[in-house]
Amino acid sequence: MKQTGKTCGCVLGLGLILVCTGARAQDVMVVANKGMSASQISSSELRDIFTGVRSRLGDGTRAVPVILKGGPAHEVFLNNYIGESPDEFRTRWRKAVFTGQGAMLKEFASEAALLDYVAATPNSLGYVSRVSREDGVKVLTVWKNSR
Amino acid sequence: MLRRTVLPLLVCMCTIRLLAQDLENIQIHGFATQGFLFSSNNNYLSMKSSTGSLQWTEGAISVSDPVTDNLRVGIQLHMYQMGDFGGPNIQVDWASGDYKFSDRLGFRAGKIKTPLGLFNDSQDVDSLFLWILLPQAMYPVDNRGFDLAELGGEAYGSFALARRGGSVQYRGHVGGNALDSNGGYAEQLAEAGLVFRNPPGGKIFGGDLRWMTPWHGLMLGSSVLSQALDGTAPAGAVHLAPSATIAYYAQWQKGNLYLAGEYWRTPIDPLLTIGPATVPLPLDQRDWYAMASYRVSKKLDLGSYYSHYMNKAMDTTLPANYSKDVVVSGRYDFNPYFYGKVEGHFLRGTGLGYYASVNSDGLKPNSNMLAARIGFSF
Repeated sequence: MKQTGKTCGCVLGLGLILVCTGARAQDVMVVANKGMSASQISSSELRDIFTGVRSRLGDGTRAVPVILKGGPAHEVFLNNYIGESPDEFRTRWRKAVFTGQGAMLKEFASEAALLDYVAATPNSLGYVSRVSREDGVKVLTVWKNSR
Repeated sequence: MLRRTVLPLLVCMCTIRLLAQDLENIQIHGFATQGFLFSSNNNYLSMKSSTGSLQWTEGAISVSDPVTDNLRVGIQLHMYQMGDFGGPNIQVDWASGDYKFSDRLGFRAGKIKTPLGLFNDSQDVDSLFLWILLPQAMYPVDNRGFDLAELGGEAYGSFALARRGGSVQYRGHVGGNALDSNGGYAEQLAEAGLVFRNPPGGKIFGGDLRWMTPWHGLMLGSSVLSQALDGTAPAGAVHLAPSATIAYYAQWQKGNLYLAGEYWRTPIDPLLTIGPATVPLPLDQRDWYAMASYRVSKKLDLGSYYSHYMNKAMDTTLPANYSKDVVVSGRYDFNPYFYGKVEGHFLRGTGLGYYASVNSDGLKPNSNMLAARIGFSF
């Protein structure tokens, strides 16, 4: 009986790991500078900040978004949280630049470079596919809301 | 001696470091395009398009600098040559300082882009669009030098509406502008015998309100613009009392599908004085278009639109008082920076885009046109 319980626990645990891994493979982590007071962000806030509609979080903290130049994490982030393809996203910011209404977001060629920047730059906000404690950034929980 | 050498060196090093930090934030972007037009009958947009014309080159470069968290300054220089229009001279497209107090309120001042409808402020940035020519009823490419920007200021901002109401963006602006001496309106006035030493100008003000609805991808909006114009030439004068254009628009994007439409109305009564004669030019422009496009793959976009212009103040059975354009278009992005476009136009009526200087034998009521354009943007 005890053995069966252990086996069930193992199977459940393995299942959970597989489910989590599956979810992670299609998602990214939103990371922020450790000085940022917020520990979570709503999906609409995140979208507004990365599309330039707003520059502050709900608690009034300034947020400076930074992005990856390309790659799977970039595509997943834009698809899951912004609802745009990389081309649409680039066009949106080009419009802001060429009409004098905004400046391009800072881009990074690698996740490591983005993490270094976010760790060192107050108020910065970005995304990566994986993060470790040594990276020195804060992972924000994104909660889904809709307007 | 040591102090003499070290101190200036330290100051110099600090200055270089500060300068480097400042320069690090400066952004430089630009674009360049080359167009081609080939039309079956009339010559379009002052180009000799009936024999095929490459006389359409554009380029721009913008520099901007976030001076502080809230203040950004920038300038964009633009050059275009399209048939008789534009020229080698570089023009200031926009140059402004932008101070943002909060997301709800910011101010921009200098030479600023004029918001009107969906695309007025961005219509000269070819890389943003699938289309080579936007609906000419609203966004005449030959008059961008006048329609696009003004010297003045604007307040702007956005705020979320309560309880899943979406969000609203607003812009209110006031300023002045003047006709582009090398643009379409100046050419039309010259055809009427009025050549101005100083281009006619006037006050302009208006606003734009757009609602990002809670239904993801659907945006509804409206703009209003008041424009006045006065100018005196050796042979006469032009006068336009403040007149309003009202625009309503909608845009919806779902996945790879994009739909948009606009309706504009511009009832104006410009008055030309040519010698002793006063010539009223009654205009009641009713313009609308409907467009649809689909992103077939990451690199290929296809779409179509119908654009409709009618001057209801005149006899609408005459081709000179209407323009109807059915358009099919394709765009291929070779990479994120370089693209090519091809577009077919089936033009009915001669109310827009035709000039006597290149159509001395008169105009045929209908014309078909093939347009192509390549460009890069960084």
